Amino acid sequence: MAEKNGCTTVEEGGFQVVKVQGEVDLSWSQKLRKSILDALGKSQKVAVDLSQVTYIDSSGIAALVEGFQSARGKGQHFSLVSVSQPVIAVLELARLDRVFPIFESLDLAAQS
Amino acid sequence: MSSAATARANQGIGSDEVAVLADFSQAFATTLDVTQTVRQAVEQIAAHMNAEAAALFLIDGPKGELVCRACFGPVDVTGLRVPQGRGIVGRSIKQNKVQLVQNVETDADHAGDVGGFVTRSILCAPLTTGEGAIGALQVLNKRGGELFNSHDRDILRLLAVPTTLALSNARLAEDLMEQERIRREFQLARQMQKDLLPRREKDCPVVGINMPAREISGDFYDHFQLADGRIAFCVGDVSGKGMDAALLMVRASSLLRWAGKEGTPPDLWLKRVNDEICTTVTGGRFVCVLAGYYDPVSGMLEWSNGGLPPLLLRHPGGQYRQVIADGPPLGIVPGIAYPSNRAFLGNGSAYIYSDGATDVRGEKGEPIGIEGFQSLIDGLVDLSPRARLRGLVSQLRHMKLADDTTLMLVEDLSTQAHYLGGISIHCDAECLRLVRKTVDKQLRELAVPVEVRQRLVLAIDEATANVIRHAYKGDPGGRMSLDIWRRGEALEFVLRDWAEAINKEAIKPRDLSHCRPGGLGVNLIDMVMDSWGFEQPESGNGNVLRMIKHLEFRPESNLN
Repeated sequence: MAEKNGCTTVEEGGFQVVKVQGEVDLSWSQKLRKSILDALGKSQKVAVDLSQVTYIDSSGIAALVEGFQSARGKGQHFSLVSVSQPVIAVLELARLDRVFPIFESLDLAAQS
Repeated sequence: MSSAATARANQGIGSDEVAVLADFSQAFATTLDVTQTVRQAVEQIAAHMNAEAAALFLIDGPKGELVCRACFGPVDVTGLRVPQGRGIVGRSIKQNKVQLVQNVETDADHAGDVGGFVTRSILCAPLTTGEGAIGALQVLNKRGGELFNSHDRDILRLLAVPTTLALSNARLAEDLMEQERIRREFQLARQMQKDLLPRREKDCPVVGINMPAREISGDFYDHFQLADGRIAFCVGDVSGKGMDAALLMVRASSLLRWAGKEGTPPDLWLKRVNDEICTTVTGGRFVCVLAGYYDPVSGMLEWSNGGLPPLLLRHPGGQYRQVIADGPPLGIVPGIAYPSNRAFLGNGSAYIYSDGATDVRGEKGEPIGIEGFQSLIDGLVDLSPRARLRGLVSQLRHMKLADDTTLMLVEDLSTQAHYLGGISIHCDAECLRLVRKTVDKQLRELAVPVEVRQRLVLAIDEATANVIRHAYKGDPGGRMSLDIWRRGEALEFVLRDWAEAINKEAIKPRDLSHCRPGGLGVNLIDMVMDSWGFEQPESGNGNVLRMIKHLEFRPESNLN
């Protein structure tokens, strides 16, 4: 649990990739939300890399859901990539694991 | 009057009459069939008095009508009804005097003839007991054209005596038999009711007791264990008393057991039984019922109340809380929904009772009410649950119990809570990490598997975040505390805040089929925890959320 919390957005293979790190909770989930919506404002293809996320709560999940719904409304590509086990566990619990497009890597997301 | 008749009239009672009297008395004394004996007696009277016909009338019904119960003669008038006071027979009863009418044509009260029989003369004697007349014995038309005389009058009066005695005894015997029959039926009903009550089980945290105000009771109680370990319980009070209330009680208790066996949530349990009872109950009857479950592992109590007095929670420190939320009694309105209540029992006690317990009169003649009932409990807290109920019964009886009374007590001292740890934080989302760290540390020490640990950490985080966002609305001055307890095989997480009391009814899981951001936290808590619920703080304002999770602890982590 020592990882620093935060997110950075990079361009990679035609995607805006939001790379998330640490424990996502109420203290900074609004920042994640803003980063995702900003990325959707810049590109038709957005991926959220969750490989370095050790914890996520419902406020973090809400940021992902909002991004997904916004992208779907505008016909944009939105996917979750390299999702860590703790995140998958919460998505399953919230029955959202079949709602989001989830890929093991950005390459696989790009091929879809 | 002929010279022979005059001679007989002057004779007094002769040996023939004594013989007839003896025969009568003997026959009446030995018979088991009074109706048959009376018929034979009427025939013998007619023969002995040389009369063409004879009849026995008895008073029947509240209007005092006379009904012919036995007769002898050419026309059968058995069953003939004569209004009260009508006819010579009516006059005989009214005046309580033998009527000797030698020529009925000159008697204005003569009611007329029946079936072609021509009445010339009537001799009629009342049958009188210490409580008044019960009927009359009459003979008609002396054979051979003779007239009834004063001797005949005395004879008939004499014969009326054993007849009255026999009839009176028969009625008494019938009354006794009827009373005995009713007594036996009530005994049977009482036994059936007793059989419906649950058997005593050693160490069962639910105990009950029922005191009928009469032979049988309109109250009932039941408890039984479900396959998942919870104990279902119910207490009922049928409106009214007596046999019909008892029959409804039998039906209601059977339905409750039937509908509660599946562990249906208490609100649906009551709804189901209410709908069933509504289809059959008539005449304004209804049933007050409180039904619910106690989970011995988590210590949680959940119940719904349809018209019974409020469930009374007694904290170990002696404070009481009445839980008033309830619905109407069962059997009145079909299809209605009942509210559901939850409370953590812990080492406290829950008292469930019919209104007989609070309606009992105190020293000043006023109902003792719930406060009076609480005082009775306070005086008996040192006793074991069953002894305490018996003590309450004894005191209520002493105060002149007016109604059926049923008491139930849920109390579980079998599992003591062990404090594991906790944390006190400011209302700051930055503190959530500390909360997660505290919970994770405790769960690691208990060797809780990683998947379960992650989920529990998530649920506690969600609950804490909800307090920050919704109870304190982000107010940085707010404080809250989390305490972790282990009780047997269950972990309890108690989250306490001092914000304004929240609307607990509004906090429910949402429908997850709608994909939308937000509102997920309660769902996550609900899915992770085995049970959760809000409690009234023991002191001060604020909110208490208790979340319970059953675990299979590894032996090395056993704290007991």
